[in-house]
Amino acid sequence: MAEPANGKVLVIPCSGVGKVHGLMAREATYRVVEDLEPQASATLCLALLVKGDEEAVTAVRTRPCITVDGCPKLCSYKNVELAGGNIAESVRVVDAFKGHKGAQPGTATELEHDGRTITEEIAQRVAARVRALCAGEGK
Amino acid sequence: MAEEPIKVGIISCAGEEIPEGTVSRLAVRRVLESLRPGQAVTLCLPLFLAGAEGEREFARNYPTITIDGCEKQCAKWGTETHSGPVSAALVVTDMLKEAGVSLSGARSGQRLTEADLAAVGMVAESIAEALDKVAVECEERQSGTAESSTSCACAASLPAGTLEINGKSVRIAGLPLIFTQCREDGLRVDDPEVSKRLLEIVRVYHPVDDHEERAYAAALRDAYAVFLESGQH
Repeated sequence: MAEPANGKVLVIPCSGVGKVHGLMAREATYRVVEDLEPQASATLCLALLVKGDEEAVTAVRTRPCITVDGCPKLCSYKNVELAGGNIAESVRVVDAFKGHKGAQPGTATELEHDGRTITEEIAQRVAARVRALCAGEGK
Repeated sequence: MAEEPIKVGIISCAGEEIPEGTVSRLAVRRVLESLRPGQAVTLCLPLFLAGAEGEREFARNYPTITIDGCEKQCAKWGTETHSGPVSAALVVTDMLKEAGVSLSGARSGQRLTEADLAAVGMVAESIAEALDKVAVECEERQSGTAESSTSCACAASLPAGTLEINGKSVRIAGLPLIFTQCREDGLRVDDPEVSKRLLEIVRVYHPVDDHEERAYAAALRDAYAVFLESGQH
């Protein structure tokens, strides 16, 4: 899959360090940018963006972004939006749990079977969105 | 109010683009879970940077250590910009270089090599050492055996406050400091958001079950009212 004309899609997780959902957002992102769509997507340090790094700010403004947030505080979405980013989609890890009642995803340090399964679902959804963006659908 | 053991805040960059961000994140988790359980807490850096006042206020009142993956030091910058000087600042790339350690380049925690995991262990040990040092310095300052500092957050004493929650006495670390800061911020007890605001700050470091939220909110508002009336400093 080739990258979009305006550059690789940026997949930006929150990486929340206190909860398993942050780890799932982070691991789903790596699955997309390293395995599923490495030619069409990349990630970006969220803290660097929030710090106001010029290169990071320019990147989110000029390239399509998919934010992946662990919890409802939506740190990734809100920070990318604050930076004037071009958000094509906002994905919430908590939403992915809706079809997995009683799931035991693991801890903020390590995912267990359920956590890996849900993370893979999130990654597939994000990858599909990356492909759609590359095909010219949406932003 | 009774004294409570000092807790140290650890803020990690967790930089997504670089392997060192994964090392910093995992090293912090190891300190919290294995090396120094109960002695430290962590804050989500993006939440902190985005302006969560509860997180920032705690970093003002508690000693804080930052762990950054690279020389850009986003965690240190963010903490010092929004909350004040940090007690210690570690940079993973510097630590690895000094130890002559190279990472495999893996960013996913599921793909780390034995060497990567050894690097996580090394960084975690360094964080734990820094944490011990900060705790000792704080204890010395509290007991008056060290030279005074006017800027370090760990110079502050951390008295706890006690609330009655559903018939139980619950100790909240740093409660007077939280109240002092809120008063300085102009928070009035008749503010319709006062309970919500106090609860938001307290629960950063103190777990509050959902079913006890209302009891905590009411107890905090009442305690804050008493604090304001008494004119405590």
